[in-house]
Amino acid sequence: MAVERLLKDEATEEKGDRARMASFIGAMAIADLVKTTLGPKGMDKILQSTGRGRNVTVTNDGATILKALHIDNPAAKVLVDISKVQDDEVGDGTTSVVVLAGELLREAEKLVNSKIHPMTIIAGYRMAAECARNALLEKAMDNKQDPEKFKSDLLNIAMTTLSSKILSQDKEYFAKLAVDAVLRLKGSTNLEAIQILKKPGGSLKDSFLDEGFILDKKIGIGQPKRIENAKILVANTAMDTDKVKIYGARVRVDSMTKVAEIEAAEKQKMREKVQKIIAHGINCFVNRQLIYNFPEELFADAGILAIEHADFDGIERLALVTGGEIASTFDNPESVKLGHCKLIEEIMIGEDRLIHFSGCEMGQACTIVLRGASQHVLDEAERSLHDALCVLTQTVNDSRVLLGGGWPEMVMAKEVDELARRTPGKKSHAIEAFSRALQAIPTIIADNAGLDSADLISQLRAEHHKERSTSGIDVISGGVGDMEKLGISESFKVKQAVLLSATEAAEMILRVDEIITCAPRKREDRM
Amino acid sequence: MAAATAAAAAASASSSARKGETYTDTKRRDDVRMANILAARAVADAVRTSLGPRGMDKMIASASSGDVVITNDGATILQRMSLLQPAARMLVDLSRSQDSAAGDGTTSVVVLAGSLLRRSLSLLSSGLHPTSLSDALHRLSLRAVDALHAMSIPLDLSDRGSLVKSAATALSSKVVSQYSSLLAPIAVDAVLAALDPAHPDLVDLRDVRVVKKLGGTVDDTELVRGLVFDKKASHAAGGPTRVENAKIAVVQFQISPPKTDIEQSVVVSDYAQMDRILREERNYILGMVKKIKATGCNVLLIQKSILRDAVTDLSLHYLAKAKILVVKDVERDDIEFITKTLNCLPIANIEHFREDKLGHADLVEEVPVGDGRIVKITGIKDMGRTATVLVRGSNLLVIDEAERSLHDALCVVRSYTFRLVCLVLRCLVKKRFLIAGGGAPEIEMSMQLAAWAKELQGAESYCIKEFAEALEVIPYTLAENAGLNPIAIVTELRNQHAKGEINAGINVRKGQITNMLEENVVQPLLVSTSAITLATEFVRMILKIDDIVTVR
Repeated sequence: MAVERLLKDEATEEKGDRARMASFIGAMAIADLVKTTLGPKGMDKILQSTGRGRNVTVTNDGATILKALHIDNPAAKVLVDISKVQDDEVGDGTTSVVVLAGELLREAEKLVNSKIHPMTIIAGYRMAAECARNALLEKAMDNKQDPEKFKSDLLNIAMTTLSSKILSQDKEYFAKLAVDAVLRLKGSTNLEAIQILKKPGGSLKDSFLDEGFILDKKIGIGQPKRIENAKILVANTAMDTDKVKIYGARVRVDSMTKVAEIEAAEKQKMREKVQKIIAHGINCFVNRQLIYNFPEELFADAGILAIEHADFDGIERLALVTGGEIASTFDNPESVKLGHCKLIEEIMIGEDRLIHFSGCEMGQACTIVLRGASQHVLDEAERSLHDALCVLTQTVNDSRVLLGGGWPEMVMAKEVDELARRTPGKKSHAIEAFSRALQAIPTIIADNAGLDSADLISQLRAEHHKERSTSGIDVISGGVGDMEKLGISESFKVKQAVLLSATEAAEMILRVDEIITCAPRKREDRM
Repeated sequence: MAAATAAAAAASASSSARKGETYTDTKRRDDVRMANILAARAVADAVRTSLGPRGMDKMIASASSGDVVITNDGATILQRMSLLQPAARMLVDLSRSQDSAAGDGTTSVVVLAGSLLRRSLSLLSSGLHPTSLSDALHRLSLRAVDALHAMSIPLDLSDRGSLVKSAATALSSKVVSQYSSLLAPIAVDAVLAALDPAHPDLVDLRDVRVVKKLGGTVDDTELVRGLVFDKKASHAAGGPTRVENAKIAVVQFQISPPKTDIEQSVVVSDYAQMDRILREERNYILGMVKKIKATGCNVLLIQKSILRDAVTDLSLHYLAKAKILVVKDVERDDIEFITKTLNCLPIANIEHFREDKLGHADLVEEVPVGDGRIVKITGIKDMGRTATVLVRGSNLLVIDEAERSLHDALCVVRSYTFRLVCLVLRCLVKKRFLIAGGGAPEIEMSMQLAAWAKELQGAESYCIKEFAEALEVIPYTLAENAGLNPIAIVTELRNQHAKGEINAGINVRKGQITNMLEENVVQPLLVSTSAITLATEFVRMILKIDDIVTVR
């Protein structure tokens, strides 16, 4: 009794329980993969690339791990996507969101097995998420009015974020670095103005924050190595030859002298161009393209510092921070906006010479120079620092903070539990399950630290039964501690994003009752 | 039927949550960590025998090109080994980091890491959590660095003798060890020459140039106060090869027939015209040469050009007539070094050829060296803070190709070793402290840490005690490689240190324990501190890894 095939060859279809099971398992596998990286004592992963060079990355960052994975399970892909969104939106909590979604699905699977309809579960989860969010809103603290306290909040948040990363040993140092950098931005979320420069060598402690901008380029030969009150022209123009860009243009002459004349004319043209540039009244010229020897010498003669071959990223940032504009024609000196900075000089970091622009027009600009033993360390440090910077800029905008160390999860779980008790009907099972999923996060943090999670969580629950408890897991001493005293804080925005996106993702996967795998498109042109 | 395929698809979908990887439970965590530790240890054991002055060399043959390198340098050995296991590859990075941070101690750092990993393995199997090991290691490294600082001796840069001593220690375990008395002073002088009194803590090694030339013996290696070009002067047309009171111009233009940037073609329509063109070409070049001569310039260094010939036979001929020595094909990257040394400016256009842009030197001459020739510029007026070292290698037995390649390899190692000594010296400039060598610092650290462990409590004390013992691997291996009885030596060493002889170390030549400072075996503090911090950092990283994920 073969049913006629509905789908093309190679396309497959999975239905009902089977489809749901496939997505549950896929999502949970992903969650389990990253869950050991959670918390201050989380472990790292080696990512080994199968591509050329078999590059090795060591990381603790959920988003980085997930981004690199090969995945063909659709539900797992959904989790990777929410982690990406979390990364883009708030920058941190990329692991938490996946783990929470995984736990929600794990609980949902049990409920589905006990014959509760997915829609009922979804309804219950929704109620629970709303209730949890309200609990967070109620408990969030806002210290915006008190700058001193706000700054210490920021420091605490930065330290909490960094404590699970490679920078954990020097977290005070880097937290201060990150807070200083973010406070310079004065509320803008433009992380572009913070440049992170990685230079191998030294140790992480040698990293520093520098006001101004550092360009990894060399100053031309015979030109001044130090300029005060610099007027900078940032340009993207050909300083090798101004070619006539008409196809097949060529000159036809009948004697050598004429060739020499044309060459002289070309030289003259370049000289005029350089004169025009000099006429802007500048003393520093930065070009994205090459500057050939001839114009370089002309600049040197005029006492102008010329930097060639600054990359796109470099000149755009430089134009941004010095307040100039990128020019490519030089006929109207009035219309070109020059950049300004107080001092340009050559500095040496490690073994490399770099050009340092300080006292820039845009006071927000700063550069964080990361030093570290190897490229692995530097890459990972950059990722960690980026996370911290993201969270901090978010917190500057939305200054509400929460305590960390599993505290928000326990607060939410308590409220959700109470809701479950008040709610009649099957939904209450789902709400209860939601609370269990929330409690899984402190459980995992404890497990990763090699602590007795069952004991700790029950202690924590008992603590939270009291009103206004501030206790959470103190991973360092291995017990229940006062998070307020320990100064462990998290940004409200991050937690809220984790809660809402994880619930949404779980909901989405729960709704699935059929997976259709499309037939691959035939590639006919392939040999 | 349909149901069966669907079931199979479901099974495959669930199992292929990650392509190429199957889902594993947490039991695998320990396995991954174990595999990483074992792999890293295997690599560390491979380089262990090359530690110390009596360490053995390794011959590394590359399978594809057949190149042979003989070296004793840990970083080089590891880099040449084609490793696949990720943890083992990270060990290569570790030794490279030590290389860039301190220049020496690349083998020690790997051996230390291997020994720490061995102890970690036994600690892990006794049920300790990796993070507590990691924390203990962090505290240990801080404490160890303190201990090293306490036993270090401050150094004055004007004390050339101490600098030479530490350079000699760095060289003592290398292929060229018998020449260490010769090479060490050269290295010291070169680095001191490049030292800028305005920024005494920075030495840019790019200001020390090493020119290798096969032929002669290591004894012929010399420090040139001036410039050396590893190429001949152009004497195609019989130009001068020796110029006294030289006025040197570094030019970035070409002395050849004109060429426009736009595509050009010269149309010849009759016979007479051809003659005229040839004449014009001659006149053009002659004009250029006259302009050059007019400034009094008698040595030309011409930058290589990709667009057209830097010089032609014709221009060489005229230049030779004008008694101008020509060195062509100077790389653009070298221009900065050259102009800095000669204290002159590069000239990019014939119109700008002025006398004030020239550099002055007492003598420019072409000298035969081995089977080639080099151009030497000496007695430079107002010379920049740079130095050039001409390294020579023997070619006594260059009989056939195979041996030649071997000698080439040796030559590479020599120049490499030389760079290494410069690096070591630079560390000294950076961090002006010396420390005794010969395993003394390791034993001292180990003893102090073991004493400290007794004051601590709990798992940390236990870990630190184990790791403190792990540090003894360095003197142990030194003794072992020198053919001494390691147990006897290490216990004797411990005994001496307990008596307060903190500078006692293994004297490999005499085969006994002596005061290392009196034996002139000293090394920069930075080498030891960076070895211990990097090794602990590496071990901590390995301990924290619980999974290897294959990705795109």
